[in-house]
Amino acid sequence: MTGPDGHGQPGDDQEEREAGLALERTSLAWTRTAISFGAVGGAVLKANVITGLIILALAPVVWHLGRVSRGSAAREGLPLVSGTRLFLITVSIVAVALICLAVAIFGKSAPGALR
Amino acid sequence: MSWSRRLAALLPRTVAEDSGGTEPDARFTFANERTFLAWSRTALALVVAGLAIVQLLPPFPRVPVGRHLLGLPLIALGAVLAVTAYGEWVRNQHALRRGEPMPRSVLPWILSATVTLTAVIAAVVLLISAAR
Repeated sequence: MTGPDGHGQPGDDQEEREAGLALERTSLAWTRTAISFGAVGGAVLKANVITGLIILALAPVVWHLGRVSRGSAAREGLPLVSGTRLFLITVSIVAVALICLAVAIFGKSAPGALR
Repeated sequence: MSWSRRLAALLPRTVAEDSGGTEPDARFTFANERTFLAWSRTALALVVAGLAIVQLLPPFPRVPVGRHLLGLPLIALGAVLAVTAYGEWVRNQHALRRGEPMPRSVLPWILSATVTLTAVIAAVVLLISAAR
């Protein structure tokens, strides 16, 4: 992956040469991330219904953020290099972690559910 | 660089105004974004694992705080991992634009330390709870 100038060049692998495939892999990564938010929401749902629903609602938002990236890239042939989307994901995860901390400390547990 | 400047460098507006260097190959930008997303999912996995330990595991005999001792650090480290992943995305994008060598990632170190520490705490808690 590193060219003679040391800056790195796309490899010989066709998958690496095709920007369209890289775009598709990135779209799939966004989809997996949205599913992960859904999974966390489902887990929190068991402990606190309202909080779980709020986190579940983040899943389609995350998926839409991925679509924003995909649509822009398709129009302009370039990725939308916007830190805002990624910043939003980071803020969401920190918020989810804080909510989970609160649920873990103050919420009623269901001990033995994994017994 | 001061901490306030480091934090300011992470804001989306600062990243967008980074006009130095040239636009990197789209594939590298996509790869950087996918790496960030993969770390984000790892952070979410840590959070949900911590929550599951606290909420679903039966209490450890003789170690009433055992579940919280294991679960709460995992949730907190999930948040730390997410913020660090964003910082690394910014640094990598900066390096890609300028054709500089990619900076070393601290994320694998954080994850390894977290998993090791959790395993050690789990072993200690289990030993204490199993002792008669």
